[in-house]
Order: sequence, then C-alpha cells, then structure tokens
Amino acid sequence: MNILAIETTGAAASVALINEKGEVSVEISDQKMNHLQNLMPMIDILLKKRELSIDDIGCVAVSEGPGSFTGIRIGVASARAIAQALEIKTIGAPTLKSFLYHANDYKGIICPIFDARRNQVYSGAYQWIRDEHPGKSKNESPCRKEVQASYRELVIGDAYDLPQLLEKLKTILLKESNVSTALEITFFGDGIISYKEQIIDWQNASLNDNIRVLFANDKIRLQNASSVARLALEYYRQGRMKSLYDLKPVYMRKAEAERKLEEKS
Amino acid sequence: MKDNKLITLGIETSCDETSAAVILEEREVLSNVIASQIKVHQAFGGVVPEIASRHHLNNINPVIDSALKEADITLRDVDLIGVTSGPGLVGALLIGLATAKSMAYVLKKPLIGVHHIQGHISAVYIEHKELEPPFLALVVSGGHTSIVDVTDYNKYEVLGHTRDDAAGEAFDKVARVLGLGYPGGPLIDEAAKKGNPHAVEFKRVFLEKDSLDFSFSGIKTGVLNYLNTQKLKGAQLNVNDTAASFQLAVMEVLTAKTIVAAKRTKRDKIVIAGGVAANSLLRQMMKDECERKGFDLYFPSPILCTDNAAMIGCAACYKYKSGLVDNLFLDAYPNKAL
Repeated sequence: MNILAIETTGAAASVALINEKGEVSVEISDQKMNHLQNLMPMIDILLKKRELSIDDIGCVAVSEGPGSFTGIRIGVASARAIAQALEIKTIGAPTLKSFLYHANDYKGIICPIFDARRNQVYSGAYQWIRDEHPGKSKNESPCRKEVQASYRELVIGDAYDLPQLLEKLKTILLKESNVSTALEITFFGDGIISYKEQIIDWQNASLNDNIRVLFANDKIRLQNASSVARLALEYYRQGRMKSLYDLKPVYMRKAEAERKLEEKS
Repeated sequence: MKDNKLITLGIETSCDETSAAVILEEREVLSNVIASQIKVHQAFGGVVPEIASRHHLNNINPVIDSALKEADITLRDVDLIGVTSGPGLVGALLIGLATAKSMAYVLKKPLIGVHHIQGHISAVYIEHKELEPPFLALVVSGGHTSIVDVTDYNKYEVLGHTRDDAAGEAFDKVARVLGLGYPGGPLIDEAAKKGNPHAVEFKRVFLEKDSLDFSFSGIKTGVLNYLNTQKLKGAQLNVNDTAASFQLAVMEVLTAKTIVAAKRTKRDKIVIAGGVAANSLLRQMMKDECERKGFDLYFPSPILCTDNAAMIGCAACYKYKSGLVDNLFLDAYPNKAL
C-alpha cells in the first residue's frame, strides 16, 4: 500500500510517497507558485523514481490548508480527481499539524506561522509527548512502538492576530516553564520573514530567560510533502480515510467580499 | 469508446458556471450538466473571483459524476478529456484544469486545453449538424466581444474585438445602475420588451472607419450621464425605456459590424455565439439583416449560449482529430488570445 501526498499550500509545491513501513520519497519543485503546471509532472517523476505506477497508489492525501487559497484548491482538486479516477479514498492532512513531522525527535514546542496578511497568521502549537516512564512498557510489547504517535495541540490551528497568538503562547510557556527546566519553542513557516522581529521583541519583553525561542533554518522552515505523507500514514493507521466528496479545503478564513458583505449588514 | 465512436469528457470552469459534459464524436451530446453560481454572486452584484473558485471546487466532482451518469458511462470509458484553459478567471480555470490533468494522467488519456472562444463557436456545431467552416462568427458574452473569421475547425482569425468592456459586461453594469440586479443580460432584455427603444438616443460608438473593433465603456457612461441629468431635472426615470434604448444602441453596433465583416471576408454564413447571443433583440436584428442581405444565420439555443462543457468537449474532439494534444504541463492562460 502506497500513499501519495500532495503539498501545494505554500510557495514551493512538493509531492511524496510513503509505504506502510513509513519509507518516504519526496519530489520538491524548484519553481515558486507554479503548482498547477508542475504538480502532475512531479507526481510522474516521483512514481518513476520508485518504479511505481499511479495504479499502485492506494490512498491519496493532501495538505488541506491553511495556506494560499489558490494553492489549497490546486491540491484538493487534484487529490479528489485522482481519487475519483482511481476509485480510492483520500486523507485530508491539516497543514499546520504536519510540521510535527518536520521535527520528529524534538522535545520543544513546534509553532508554524504562515503569513496571512492584515497582520494575521495561520498558526497552531504542537508538541510530541515522550514516554516519561520508559521501564513501564518498553519491553513488554514490542509492537507498542508501532502504536500511533502521540502529541498534543497546545494552540488550536486557526487564523490569529499576531499579538493574540503570542499572548496564548506566553501563557502556555510560562506555565510549562515551571514544570520543565529548559523549555524551547521553534517557529516554522513563511511568517518568520514578516514577524521575526516582533517575536524577538515579545521574547525580550515577556518571557523568562530559561525559555529559548528559535527559528527553523531555511531547509526545514516551510511546508513539505514528506511531513504530509508521515501525518497521512498516521491517519491511515487510525482509519481516518474519507471519500473524495468529504475532502474539503480548510481555508480558515472567509473570502474578503463575504467578510465585507457581513460587516455591512 | 461507444459504438466505435470517441467519447470526450468536457470540463468548463472559466467563470461562474461549473460544467461537465460527455460528447460522442464531435457533435453528439450525451450529457451537459451545468451548476450555475448566479444566485451565489447576486448578493455581490457580480462575480466575485474568490467565491467563484470556492464554489467550483465544491461542485466539480459531483458535476462530473452527474454528467457520466446521465451519459450512462464510467470514467474508464472516456477516450479524451477537454478542458477550458483560458481566457477566464485564473482561480476558476485552475479548478477545471487541475481536475482534468489529474484524470487524464490516471486514465492515461489525451488532455486537450480548449480556448473558451473556440468553445463558444463550437456550440453552434452541436445543433446545426450541417454547419461547416468557413464562416464569420460574432462571439459576444460577459467577457468577450470578438468578430472571428473561422476558416477551418481549428483555424481562426480575429478581425476585431472590444478595446474596453465586453458587451455583456456593459449590460451588467447598466443593469446595476438601473437597479435591475444581476446578471444584466436577461434582466435588460426583459425590461426592454416593455420600453421604447427610441426614447433616448445613446451614442453608437463605431470607432475609426473600417475598424471592426468595439468600445462599450462609453455607452455605459452615457447611461450614467443620462440618469444624472434626469435626476437633476427632477424627472422620473423610465427604466424600461432606458434599458430598451441602451440595448438597441449596443445591438445596432454589433449587427452592423458583423455584417460588414462578413461582406469583407466574403463569407455567406454568419454564426453568433456566447451569452449575449441569447438576447432576443440581437437574434431578431441579425435574422432580419441576414435575410435582407442574403446570409445564412446560425446561433445556439440559449442553454448552449451560456458557458457549458458540451461546447468545450466538441471543440476538444476537433482539436484531437487534428493532432492538437496538450501534455501534463498544461497551465491556465487567463488572457489567452484566440
């Protein structure tokens, strides 16, 4: 069983394949915002590299958003059409949550921020939960490692005004820093470009010295289909596949015209 | 294949109709499903691109399913896929394109990008089995106003087009200022039936002598100026008279230039297509003129005048038979020339 994962919510499109063993291969576009043109050729290249055909795909996953509205639609439309033609199920992978798989072994808080303009970001905060009592279950059942990965969602993925997000993070970080001695938060996403300085100011003004604020380096900063594929595999193991008709884009924001119309009335 | 005939799946999402159709060979329509978004955009007084894109994505897969079901085939029976690649709203176009590209890849079938205007012209073939090029075509809609010399199924020469607003766009704008609502075409057509077309003399813009181009932004301003003058005078506005006078001014220009073009190219057949080709006055005037001047006139029934996928499937099949096939790099071309 192979899952095809599509990521078109950011500037660079990527596609990935993952099998049930969790082996991933990925193809990343070197062009920006040219998703419609490049997506199918990239899928073709990826399949050929793995010596597979599209008919070997058992499930198609897509990074469902948030992100570029146009990008989300290219991904969802393509995933749905592939599923419709192959008569297979789909998986909608929350884009923000996929960043957990950018940093599998990371103990700190993972916080993707996407520039949503109007001084807003699409963001959420996540953290892997490690087994704190290794003696308890480690050798009892060797299958345990295969059981679903566990993480917590500290800030629910949504559109936030930046100060509102930072306030939420501050509350969480200050609470957590009493429990653990050294606490880290790493920001990901294209929002770093616009908001890095504001975040550093916030750190200096509101956080304790034992909280470290980091920014992911360029190589792992942005959306990537390999993380989407890993998250999709987790969903697959949990049986969270859905019909293509239930695969919906997650914009997290109304269309501008709709918002203005509602404001008027 | 069905009875040894090619099956084309056509897809159209260039503006505010999500449509899918199944076509047998070039001209036989097995299904033509259209999900209109008119009601959605009425609240905004016109098509909002972002909202149109969102609705296309919601509608596209069920619309394709309905088209297949109505034609009593499955996707596996499809021999080629035709899709509008431009011109149009880029966010709307890409829903159809992403869908068509993915399906063509999975099904390993040819993919054909179709120019929207070629689609409108092809709509006429569907109902007039005897019609063959060459002929002269007037394509007139909310987004286009072009006079095209159709020399062969895939050979076109644009002789003239609008330099500013499309005729249908002028209808939408005038309908809005007259308080008639959206979409303007059918509403003005209806109001005009109850009005005097000679009540107001709006200027007919013919541009330079011999030009086959159009300009409709002036007449829209003309209507606005007339409304303001009436208001200043404290005179009651007769909406029906204004609509009728505006409509006549537009249709006179369209009809006159089309006839001139047909004479110049020595064509004996004239085709009118596109959303505005559903206008009752344009049809009547063209009929009268063609009869008087000895041209054969062809136009589609109203459902094939609006944006629909049957015309795209028809055009795609003609392109395919001429070997005009696209590859997986097919993109959206929002401002593509014919």
